Amino acid sequence: MRTNGTGGTGTRGTGTVDRRGLLKLAGGSLAALGLTAAGCGTGSGSDGGIVTIRYAWWGSDDRAKRITRTIALFEKKFPKIKVKTDFQPYLDFWKKFNTQASGGNPPDVFQNAVGFLRKYDAKNVLLDLRGQVDAGNLKLDGFRAGLEKFGEVDGKLLGVPVGSNSMALVVDQAVFRKAGITPKPGWTWDEYYAALAKIRDTQGRAGDSGMFSVMYLYDMYLRQHGKAFYTAEGLGFTEADLTAWWNKAYEGVKSGIYADPKKVSQARPKSAVAAELAASEFTWDNFTIRYTSEGKSQYGLAPIPTTDGKRTGQYLGSLMLSASRRTKHPEEVAQFINFMVHDPEVARIMGYDRGVPATTAQYEAFKPTDPVNRQIAAYEKQLVDTGVLEPITPHPAGADVAEAAFLRIAEEMALGRRSVPDAVQQFFSEAKTAFGS
Amino acid sequence: MTHLQTAAAPETATAGSGPRPGPPGPAPKARPPAARRRARRENLAGYLFMSPWITGFLLLTAGPMAASLYFAFTDYNLFDAPRWIGLRNFTDMFADPRWRQSVDVTLWYVVVGTPLKLAAALGVALLLNQKRRGQGFYRAAFYAPSLIGASVSIAIVWRAIFSDDAIVDRAQRALFGSDVGGWIGDPDWIVYSLVALTVWQFGAPMVIFLAGLKQVPRELYEAAEVDGAGPWRRFWNITLPMISPVLFFNVLLETIHSFQIFGSAYILGGSNGTCGPADATLVYTCYLYVQGFENSRMGLASAMAWMLLLAVGLVTAVLFWSQRRWVHYEEDGR
Repeated sequence: MRTNGTGGTGTRGTGTVDRRGLLKLAGGSLAALGLTAAGCGTGSGSDGGIVTIRYAWWGSDDRAKRITRTIALFEKKFPKIKVKTDFQPYLDFWKKFNTQASGGNPPDVFQNAVGFLRKYDAKNVLLDLRGQVDAGNLKLDGFRAGLEKFGEVDGKLLGVPVGSNSMALVVDQAVFRKAGITPKPGWTWDEYYAALAKIRDTQGRAGDSGMFSVMYLYDMYLRQHGKAFYTAEGLGFTEADLTAWWNKAYEGVKSGIYADPKKVSQARPKSAVAAELAASEFTWDNFTIRYTSEGKSQYGLAPIPTTDGKRTGQYLGSLMLSASRRTKHPEEVAQFINFMVHDPEVARIMGYDRGVPATTAQYEAFKPTDPVNRQIAAYEKQLVDTGVLEPITPHPAGADVAEAAFLRIAEEMALGRRSVPDAVQQFFSEAKTAFGS
Repeated sequence: MTHLQTAAAPETATAGSGPRPGPPGPAPKARPPAARRRARRENLAGYLFMSPWITGFLLLTAGPMAASLYFAFTDYNLFDAPRWIGLRNFTDMFADPRWRQSVDVTLWYVVVGTPLKLAAALGVALLLNQKRRGQGFYRAAFYAPSLIGASVSIAIVWRAIFSDDAIVDRAQRALFGSDVGGWIGDPDWIVYSLVALTVWQFGAPMVIFLAGLKQVPRELYEAAEVDGAGPWRRFWNITLPMISPVLFFNVLLETIHSFQIFGSAYILGGSNGTCGPADATLVYTCYLYVQGFENSRMGLASAMAWMLLLAVGLVTAVLFWSQRRWVHYEEDGR
């Protein structure tokens, strides 16, 4: 741990340990029961005019390599700012972040997503970047259509998007071709289910990996019916809606158009499509890159099925960069974010790893040459051209807990550990707790 | 050995044993002030030398425990100040089916895993107690897993061994032609891989058993052999009673350990924010961790921790009570 003369954890530089600090200290020490409390924070400070900021994000090793290169570039152009990084896989990231933030020591700048904006805003963790925009340290022009207001919640600018992605149907192209299926924009759910049955009958493989637990797909399905998964306060659907959705899924498992959930679970962390258990799967379009490295076949993107032949309910999702309200260097953090979203060189390094770059300058700077990235680009372009994109609903506080419950309970139901009515009841009860606190 | 006996059951260990310090004599005369000052100085020095430990205990053990006891009766999300809610955390806990699932999983794990581990430890200790060439090597080899076993890396290796299309999966396909697949992603099987991991780490109790076996007097075996007792009878009537204090110690320690299992269960099963597919390895501490650090319900997590403490205390008390029936302490305080 680095000391910088401004006081360590708990004292907050005042020299006295206040009651709140003590409680936090104590809360963190549940470690006494053999738990591992994550994270020993390092204070960021300034030595000799050089400012150090901490940057935390989630992702894979491949992303780590790319990000390290972008930081080297940043430090070269801003020699007075040093960036310390910290990364984990997605779920571990949020556990560590939560612990750090509650201890008053979150990273200065960090990767963020729409599901966490309201949650951490309600807990006073996020910096309103509007002030830095006004001060000229952060430019908000040049964002691609649909992304300008992405990180805004209740008039506050809580995050700046670095890239966009959208839900898609990832398909094993070889299997679809052999089964003679050509997905087209505007195809309906009935056509999709027929295709799955055909794949099952002709290719000896399930058509889909099982869609019951894909929360974002269910959200789109609800939107096709004029509802949504989330409202600003909680759930935007009824128990009857979810029962119908999961009943359909349950039947699909029984009839073999969805892969055996047990096999899917066993294949993890490999995806069911790459493991050749299923021919298609609903997920984010930039995940295609991952499938290609995992599996042997060629993977492509197909449009989301619709109910009425037009509306898909799709919207752009995005990774963002947010800043901590407790940062001692808001100016440097803003300069860092500005660099990461606007500098063309960054886009050439990152590619579509975090989705399609959010600003036009970066979008123009990276023109993919490999087939996978080109497909992603074409897919997103087609979404814009056909005009199916809708605005996203900022998730309410507690959405992350509700999503985890949705995933888990859907899996229990798929594995036959719960009946559909039981699963629905359990989810609504857990969601109530999640949004209540 | 002696420290085990006295620690385990002072009342029986000291009964009728050797000379004891006699009853206190007449009160000593008041000491001269110089001696008293010296004694006080010595005490002070003692406290001074102990102060790092005392500080550590107060700050890192007693303080957090007191705080956690307070949190157990509050709604505390780590960010906002704790709010007193009385017994709500406890009623919430008992009403939560996931909590009951975690209790079931933990009890199953304790009841199945602990005896298996102790049986393995005792079995290997018996083998290693014989005079053979290279015993030192075997002892080291069998003890090694429990040295490294506590580490996260072993759980990750275990995960690799038992996952789909890995060694275990291939072996069971080759040997039995079965289609079970990897154990890690299978809600019916993953818990067995957890038990296998704990059994494999039998080194620590094994060393203690070995020490116990060394204490059993050879004359007893020789006498029994003369009387025509077979190996099984010798084990049952001599070895087991003679090592029963050690056995008791191991049962106690391993049971408490099993209740507290966290790391291996979390790493083996925690692939997507849960503990095992369909909560199959949702051990108590794993759920405690989920509630505290994922759902930000630190008050509830504290309540769960105190509940665990109570449960472990209760089980320990029952074990201590039961030892009167099956633990034999040597009369001569050997």
